[in-house]
Amino acid sequence: MLNKRAQMSEIMMWIVATIIILSILLIFVYASSLLAQKTKIIKAQDLKINLEEEVNSLDTKTLITYNLASESEKSIIDRWGVENE
Amino acid sequence: MYKKGGSKVIALYWFVILMIIAGGIFSMVYSFYHYPYDVRELEGEIMINKIADCLSSQGNMSSGLFAEEGFSESYKNNFLNECHINLNVEESWNKEPQYYFEVNFYKSENLENSVFNIPKGNLNLMADCNIQEEKEYKREVKCTEENFFSFHGEDLYLIKILTVIKKTEKNVK
Repeated sequence: MLNKRAQMSEIMMWIVATIIILSILLIFVYASSLLAQKTKIIKAQDLKINLEEEVNSLDTKTLITYNLASESEKSIIDRWGVENE
Repeated sequence: MYKKGGSKVIALYWFVILMIIAGGIFSMVYSFYHYPYDVRELEGEIMINKIADCLSSQGNMSSGLFAEEGFSESYKNNFLNECHINLNVEESWNKEPQYYFEVNFYKSENLENSVFNIPKGNLNLMADCNIQEEKEYKREVKCTEENFFSFHGEDLYLIKILTVIKKTEKNVK
């Protein structure tokens, strides 16, 4: 009788261990698919070259125009920049 | 410790567990590496830079963009050739083009209303662009917009470039 009870408890231990192993595996599989969804979206800012500051080509174009602009035009560009920040 | 039959069962159990763990590791690696890289936003920004370089250089807009009276319609119609842009990159997508872009020009006196625009590509994608904020449509298309200022003679213009890229099959699982 005691031997049977010991066997039962051992079987239960293996079943619980299996469930734990399976659930940990499932969590990791789910986490890896979530990680793939989040980290595999590539944006331009992800591809920073080793520069001190990030350079945006269109900002450079606006900066060149800004340098050519009169004071009133500069204020238009400034105002637009503040509004769209 | 175990009876002969019991030790066989335990060995079989361990073998099954090992297989399950190996299968789990395989599915983790597969689910991560099987998921495609979504480069549409980057592609959109590259396209915007290409269009902007074609439209403006050293603070001044391309002279070909203008006719005697305002903007040139022929430049607009021939814009893809003028700027060396090819939207039909793969034969499989020729039936339904995967790109759309729109360039809008605003005079500095009125930055609300566009005075001229150049739309090219599959206009139907714009509808997806407007509803992409809703979650279920989030991955349908990628819309990217950038702006810059440039001169034409004495006139200052704001130029807004919007690109819309679908290519869902290759970038989203």
